[in-house]
Amino acid sequence: MNLEPQLRPYPTRRTVLKTAATAALAVPLLSACVTSGTKDSGGGTEQGEKTTDNPLGVKTDAPLEVVVFKGGYGDDYAIKAETQYTQHYPKAKVDHKGLQKVGEAMQPRFVAGNPPDVVDNTGAGRLDIATLVSAGQAGDLTDLLDAPAFDVPGKKVRETLLPGVVDDGTFGGSTVALNFTYTVWGVWFSKPFFEAKGWTYPKTWAEMLALCETIKKAGVAPWTYQGKYPEYINDPLLSMAAKVGGKDLIKAVDNLEPGAWKQDGLVQAATAFAELAGKNYLMSGSEALSHTEAQAAWCQKKAAFIPCGSWLESEQKGVAPAGFDMVMGAVPALTASDKQPVAAVQAASSESFLVPSKAKNQAGGKEYLRMLFSKASATEFAKANSTLPAVAGATDGLTLSSGLGSVRDAVVAAGDNTFTYRFRTWYAPLAKAVDDATGELVNKRISPADWSTRIQKAADALAKDATVTKYTR
Amino acid sequence: MRHGRWRFLLGALVPALVLHVVFVLSPYAQAFYLSLTDWTGVAGEAHYVGAGNYARLGGDSLFLDAVRNNAVMLVVVPFVTIAIGLGLASLLRKGRGAGGYQIVYFFPQLLSLVVIGVLWGFVYNPNTGLLNSGLRAVGLGSLAQSWLAEPVFALAAVMAVLVWSSVGFYVVLFRAAIDGIPPELYEAALLDGAGAWTTFRRITVPLVRETVQVAFVYLGIAALDGFAVVQVMTVGPGGPDGATEVIGLSLYRNAFTYGKFGYASAMGVALFFATLTLAVLALRAGRRERLELA
Amino acid sequence: MTVLREKPVLTAAPAEVGVRKNRINPLPQVAMLCWAVVTALPLLWAVVSSVKSDDEILNSPWSLPASPHFDNWARAWTSANIGRYFLNSLIVVGGALLLTMFLGALVAYALARYDFRGNRLIYYTFVAAMFFPVFLALVPLFFVVQRLGLLGTYPGLILVYAAYAVPFTVFFLHAFFRTLPSEIAEAAFLDGCSHGAVFFRVMLPLARPGLTAVGIFNFLGLWNQYLLPLVLNPDPDRYVLAQGLAALSVSQGYRSDWGGLFAGLTIAMLPVLVAYVAFQRHIRAGMTAGAVK
Repeated sequence: MNLEPQLRPYPTRRTVLKTAATAALAVPLLSACVTSGTKDSGGGTEQGEKTTDNPLGVKTDAPLEVVVFKGGYGDDYAIKAETQYTQHYPKAKVDHKGLQKVGEAMQPRFVAGNPPDVVDNTGAGRLDIATLVSAGQAGDLTDLLDAPAFDVPGKKVRETLLPGVVDDGTFGGSTVALNFTYTVWGVWFSKPFFEAKGWTYPKTWAEMLALCETIKKAGVAPWTYQGKYPEYINDPLLSMAAKVGGKDLIKAVDNLEPGAWKQDGLVQAATAFAELAGKNYLMSGSEALSHTEAQAAWCQKKAAFIPCGSWLESEQKGVAPAGFDMVMGAVPALTASDKQPVAAVQAASSESFLVPSKAKNQAGGKEYLRMLFSKASATEFAKANSTLPAVAGATDGLTLSSGLGSVRDAVVAAGDNTFTYRFRTWYAPLAKAVDDATGELVNKRISPADWSTRIQKAADALAKDATVTKYTR
Repeated sequence: MRHGRWRFLLGALVPALVLHVVFVLSPYAQAFYLSLTDWTGVAGEAHYVGAGNYARLGGDSLFLDAVRNNAVMLVVVPFVTIAIGLGLASLLRKGRGAGGYQIVYFFPQLLSLVVIGVLWGFVYNPNTGLLNSGLRAVGLGSLAQSWLAEPVFALAAVMAVLVWSSVGFYVVLFRAAIDGIPPELYEAALLDGAGAWTTFRRITVPLVRETVQVAFVYLGIAALDGFAVVQVMTVGPGGPDGATEVIGLSLYRNAFTYGKFGYASAMGVALFFATLTLAVLALRAGRRERLELA
Repeated sequence: MTVLREKPVLTAAPAEVGVRKNRINPLPQVAMLCWAVVTALPLLWAVVSSVKSDDEILNSPWSLPASPHFDNWARAWTSANIGRYFLNSLIVVGGALLLTMFLGALVAYALARYDFRGNRLIYYTFVAAMFFPVFLALVPLFFVVQRLGLLGTYPGLILVYAAYAVPFTVFFLHAFFRTLPSEIAEAAFLDGCSHGAVFFRVMLPLARPGLTAVGIFNFLGLWNQYLLPLVLNPDPDRYVLAQGLAALSVSQGYRSDWGGLFAGLTIAMLPVLVAYVAFQRHIRAGMTAGAVK
């Protein structure tokens, strides 16, 4: 049922009802971890000899315990990797648990110092990773990243992952989690619908505005958005800004630098979206529609474009009419001098696997992840779940649905030009301030200048607030 | 027998008292202490910050929005609900089919505010909702609004739902109070040639005054809440841009999304004093009137 | 009303003649009917929408379904988990209601019929809690429940529900037990009944009308409880109905399903409405006894 929380890498407001409970669960649960979290690593007692065939030094007869979140993706993909593991190490006994409430079940184990060897820390009720890290409970995965990839000769594990995946699992300089799925954000449309009308997806914002005029004349609303949750319209706005200002712009924003929200790129992007709203290219009523309502209106071709992440296709299964064949495009470039190419996309990974620092069979846990993150295993996963895995090239040669295919193409086209803002996960109150301001902006109640002033004020207040833990990138 | 008396009393009172102390009284007491700390839920890491959280409340624009909205609700919701409730109750006194009407009026009272919030969310939908499509169907399409997304209408839309959901209860309550008024008074008024409005003002209102006061306290407490409807129904929730933010929602978000438990507790304490003030004011107003009458 | 509307001169002319002759003022009837429509229409609309297809719901909100889609209900019950939430609600509310009534009646009886030092103090300790906003207790309550290891469990919810319902029950039944005649109890004591036996065999049966009324109030309050489970019951498998519906309306799970959501709303509404129509006399009697007094 609840695919959403796994698909969306950072907490969004529409999942707040569910994730609020998660946050509530995660924070206090870990209090116990923190108090008992001595930094000495009691784990890793089961260690074998490192060889080329066994680069992580797995003790071949040590038992391995794997705990997997059994949510929208099921846990078959994890079981397949376990089978792989026992084929390799026939003497090892693998204990598998597929759980819905990872946090609830694992918290006492962490406190008691006997966590399993691999934990898929995902879903509503997961443990807060930042707290796990500060409690010294999440093991460093550097040796896994530098080990040879399982089925890609000549490459290290690190080199087989999509851009950003290692960063997403890095906290305070050490990589402690590997995320298995990959989410990309963009602007969606129905390919056959556009072909029938003779519309082409625009590369630049000027083209976008011109096309919107054409679309409007054809009696279709150019855009709709999930107005009840303004973060959805934020994504393309911030993506556009990131293209104009490059990764430095993102860094300044995430590091709460003074004047970060007054950067040209952000103001220009806000102006662009104010213009989109000012020309009435947003379907009327969108501002009050929930994500399902806006997406349904879009599927009924009442609007041509909708911003969303790559989970949209599976979310609209059964709502999108046959032959709707939705595809995702990268957010158009605003200026000719954008610092990132038009193909750049906002992307982030989720479905977070970690090896606890107190796990007995750490080597085995990492070896298991090496197999799970192999190309063959990732390909199986993509086939079964129509979701992009975090392993590069995993979907090569597969026949994909139109939506997933377009997402894969976008990732390939972007190459190294993927980016993500971290402030949403780091500073939830700032995320709310941004969402509120953007909602006002696209409803023509504030100007782009007001927009940036307001958010800057919220960011400054946060930067000054000594009670908030700060992160930098 | 004395021995059995004490044994029975202990057995009767102790379990409930334990439950009460553990789950009701101790949390209330702890909230006051927590509100003076910066606790984030990590054990042993609560630092005493004095009135810091309270000082911060004054600079939290979203919280101030919430206070403003709750204040508006506190004035409007009880007043409108009681006006409609009292009006309908006195109409029901003589109206035909009163019993049936009363049953229907009471329906919303039976439903969870979540159900009501979800339902009215659909009613208010700007494009396919019951309200706007109804307006369009009768040629009033120009009145159709994006009810929950326009700052000027959003809070009114929330208050309308709260009034809608509570009127029925007060109709029944006031009806019972009116039925307690001796019919001779009405007959005498009739003989004096008093009109319906005069009778209502001179007989009904004064004689159900105490019930109205009770209703004010209940409705005031409900108006200081509003959490469920706002959280389920509004844009954001609490939006657009804080237009429907309520204290409960701010508190909930700060505690369970941001992990600022100390700060959230300070909001709880503020809400507690608001409720207390309301109750005291209502009771004192009641006493003064009684003195004046005497 | 019509009688009051006119202003007869102070002659002895019989009122009925005047009524018949004068125009009957239609306003009161219209006003009452209007509010009935305002109240009933959204509810009816939800029921009708629960058997419409998604397409009909989105495109013609006022029309009746071309053919009723009862499969919406089946889907809501099974794949949207309404069935499970319903069962969870039954377990939690049932357990909490029994506990509340048992403890509340005992306390109310002990405080109403026995004189001892601290009696008033205990009474006010309970009753004062009725007027505190639950929001104040919310954060510490969460940690109390969590430290007891009861977070997201049925017993945890049942205990907390009961703890928050007992004060009202005590308040309500205290007054009720005071009004009961003491002769029967005295006779029972003379017959050698213990204190417990007097309570269970004599006083409780006598208090049945009061118990019924407060039981119904408690049931409604607990059944519709949202804030407490939202905070204390984070496990989707144990969601109660209100919580499940809220989650459903926000995420609607894997795919959008309006028919299913309306069916879920209807499933949540109907049992209480039917129960109300069946019990409405008791409820009104209870309200008259409890609130107007």
